[in-house]
Amino acid sequence: MIEVRELRVSYGGRVVADVPELDVGAGECVAIVGESGSGKSTTLLALLGLLPDAEVSGRVTVCGVDVLTAPPRRLRELRGARAALVIQSPQAALAPSTRLGVLMRRALRLHGREATDAAMAEAMRAVLLDPELLRRYPHEISGGQAQRFAIALAIALGAEVVLADEPTSALDVTVQAEVVAVLRGLLTERGLALLLVSHDLALVSTIADRVLVMKDGAVVESGPAATVLATPAHPYTRELLEALP
Amino acid sequence: MTMLRAERVTLGYGGRPVVHDVSLDLTEGGVGLIGESGSGKTTLARAFLGLLKPMSGDIWYGERPLREADRRRFRKDVQPVFQAEALDPRMRIGASVAEGLPRHERGRVAELLEQVGLDPALAGRRPHQLSGGQRQRVVIARALAVGPRLLILDEPTSALDVTVQARILDLLAGLDAERLLITHNLAVVRRLCRTSYVLFAGRVVESGPTAELLARPAHPYTRALRDAVPRLGGPPPEASGRTEAVPAATGCPYRLRCPLAVAECERAPELREVADGRRAACHRAADVLG
Repeated sequence: MIEVRELRVSYGGRVVADVPELDVGAGECVAIVGESGSGKSTTLLALLGLLPDAEVSGRVTVCGVDVLTAPPRRLRELRGARAALVIQSPQAALAPSTRLGVLMRRALRLHGREATDAAMAEAMRAVLLDPELLRRYPHEISGGQAQRFAIALAIALGAEVVLADEPTSALDVTVQAEVVAVLRGLLTERGLALLLVSHDLALVSTIADRVLVMKDGAVVESGPAATVLATPAHPYTRELLEALP
Repeated sequence: MTMLRAERVTLGYGGRPVVHDVSLDLTEGGVGLIGESGSGKTTLARAFLGLLKPMSGDIWYGERPLREADRRRFRKDVQPVFQAEALDPRMRIGASVAEGLPRHERGRVAELLEQVGLDPALAGRRPHQLSGGQRQRVVIARALAVGPRLLILDEPTSALDVTVQARILDLLAGLDAERLLITHNLAVVRRLCRTSYVLFAGRVVESGPTAELLARPAHPYTRALRDAVPRLGGPPPEASGRTEAVPAATGCPYRLRCPLAVAECERAPELREVADGRRAACHRAADVLG
């Protein structure tokens, strides 16, 4: 679903992300871990063609779309429906004076999908939310509910790929557990491809199949999550693991 | 005699209580206040700093209520350490640190920066020219300037990368001052606090020695918090599906989220001794302790 080769993102000649190879298949979760400034979020945004001011080279294919050469219209189709972006605090991105149900209905129509009450309710239940919440305004729901609503939107739109940037770092741990359970459900029950960007190695170890460790824009280590986190080969990965409180 | 303690304190805003009837002793070895967003932990910290007057009950500073205390002495004794975002962006680092110092001691800025592991040459910079970890060290240096006996720390490391966080925790653990630490991060409490209080919906639901409290919780909420933390290579944390339930207005506030709730829980449980040095507000504490 995601195939990246020799991706290089730079600003004014300064390379901020250099990813030789990254593949995410259906039903698979790949995590990019690293600290602030490692280039992990930049990589994720590059996959959706969301870095208009950067120089981007290499080859990026998401759901069969060649992201770096596709015309804007094809990119919009890809971003809106087939590849969903889940960010750290979605609440700020939800129009404050619009009920969640109206938001979801509009998004579905915009992408030419049928917006039936039943389909919307089903998407809400898939993320363990009461469909009644569709009547609420964004400020009337919690951070964890907003995050799951963002995932419900992706499900309703029939997303095949979910790109999640620190989706649980702003949440309490008990709420985080619920969002992670929902994300796991996307993998196992719906066969979505999940690219997860996170600084939390412990969290990543419980959900990711494979891991890329990034530092200062470069991938310093990659491989199966169980191997990389149990027997890290790179000193930086070891440092990250030892720093876990 | 502890320097600062809360005795049956109820706190709120606009007449609406958000912290109910909390008694808490700032004993030696660090005290942790654990809870999720909205649990009232920051409100309680504000009261300990004298920034919020109790609706009932009192904060005691030594032998007298905090409201009657000599403010200047109190400011020298008790200092807050907030998240680094609280630094004035226009002020140079040196000036920020010097703010708390009497005029004739302004020369100590370099010494304070060194004490927190910063190059004194950074004194001429402004906050945006420093990394997040460096800024957090500045906030700590600033608090240490007046030589406080107690630091009140509100999530001092939650915005930092793990490798940076580890170094800040080392720094805090090595300081002489006592500490009250407010956090949602159990690993940080384990590292810095001998005693912990767990808050849920503005009430203390459990307290005791941190190590025992986390190893063998007596309250289902403490257990849920501990089990929700992902462990390296561990199984995915269990999702209860109940975090949405609002705190119950009557009886045990946790009962709508609690997997062990029984009819008895409609009657509010008292915070009582459940084991040596351990207190919990739960009718089923004996079952939770196992």
